Amino acid sequence: MVKVIRRNEFEDVKKAGVAVVDFSATWCNPCRMLAPVMEELSDEYAGAVEFYNCDVDENGDLASEYGITSIPAIIIFKEGKATAKTVGFQPKANMKSFIDANK
Amino acid sequence: MYDIAIVGTGPAGISAAITAKIRNKSIILFGSRTLSDKMRKAHLIENYPGFYHVTGEQLADSLSRHLEQMGIEITEKRVGAVYTFDDRFSLSAGQDIIDAKTVIIAGGIVNGRPIKGEEEFLGRGVSYCATCDGFLYKGKKVAVVGASEDAPAEAEFLSEICSEVLYFPAGEKLPKEAANIKVIKEKPAEIKGSMKADTLITDSGEYKTDCIFVLRDAVSPGTLVPGIELDGPHIKVNLQMETNLPGLFACGDIAGTPYQYIKAAGQGNTAALSAVRYLGKKQ
Repeated sequence: MVKVIRRNEFEDVKKAGVAVVDFSATWCNPCRMLAPVMEELSDEYAGAVEFYNCDVDENGDLASEYGITSIPAIIIFKEGKATAKTVGFQPKANMKSFIDANK
Repeated sequence: MYDIAIVGTGPAGISAAITAKIRNKSIILFGSRTLSDKMRKAHLIENYPGFYHVTGEQLADSLSRHLEQMGIEITEKRVGAVYTFDDRFSLSAGQDIIDAKTVIIAGGIVNGRPIKGEEEFLGRGVSYCATCDGFLYKGKKVAVVGASEDAPAEAEFLSEICSEVLYFPAGEKLPKEAANIKVIKEKPAEIKGSMKADTLITDSGEYKTDCIFVLRDAVSPGTLVPGIELDGPHIKVNLQMETNLPGLFACGDIAGTPYQYIKAAGQGNTAALSAVRYLGKKQ
């Protein structure tokens, strides 16, 4: 399951061993396309990797803290530290390789 | 859900549509009713079998008639992106999302070189899609390089969100007059910045902005199909016109040189037959 981040609340992400955060917005077509892919991946990686969705309109502070200028932006956090970033929709297999290479 | 979505109405896309229709597949053909401006402007074509010494205009009209006679319609929408899923493809065209089991990309090649710095800053202060990224620049000042048919409309859309829109026209058409749209008839030369792009330099001025939207008619294949494998500026294909994404095929100029009408038509035919075979295997 992909958890939703609200009110710039990022504590859970920082506590997680490996977290994948999808910075997106409701009005962005590629983001809407990516959402089901992330949902499927979150099930496949259940127990190993935590998945979050961060709406950039609702969480403006986090979006600027992590330098989000184009969405969807997917950032991998390890022990609370941002270690890898990719921008834009990607097919599931490609997103999987990105996560595997950086988790 | 369509069996086959075909993007492009040059000889490759038309040929693919004809073959797919003959094989009784449900198809949607995206392009322009005038087919391909590039083909219409061709002076003389000497090597298209059966059409000796034909002008581009005449060949285009013949192809148009062929489509009409077979009852193939053209959907006049611009496909901005093709999203790949395990069981289907979703094509985004304006505000619409259209699903298909297979896709044939026959959109031709992108003409015109990118602005210096454009590709380097893509996603960092440079955007190709006003409706996608516009809201990120709510209340901010943006620049639009208007090199596409719908660029004026997209600039008008941005003017409703952003505080100021600087519009650099590449064509004749301009956005409707608005208090916060400023038309600047200068030629963009370079995009500069540090962490992100913040300056557009033209042949005679320098403009500070929060984002530069570069709007062209054709997007590069990598932007059109996220995850596609490229070979230089082209989509990488094999002799069956298959790409690295199962169910997605490419043909015509976008699949590589030589840029010839008859080669494009032949590849379109192959791509359609490969799509038909793929559909057969999936059932």
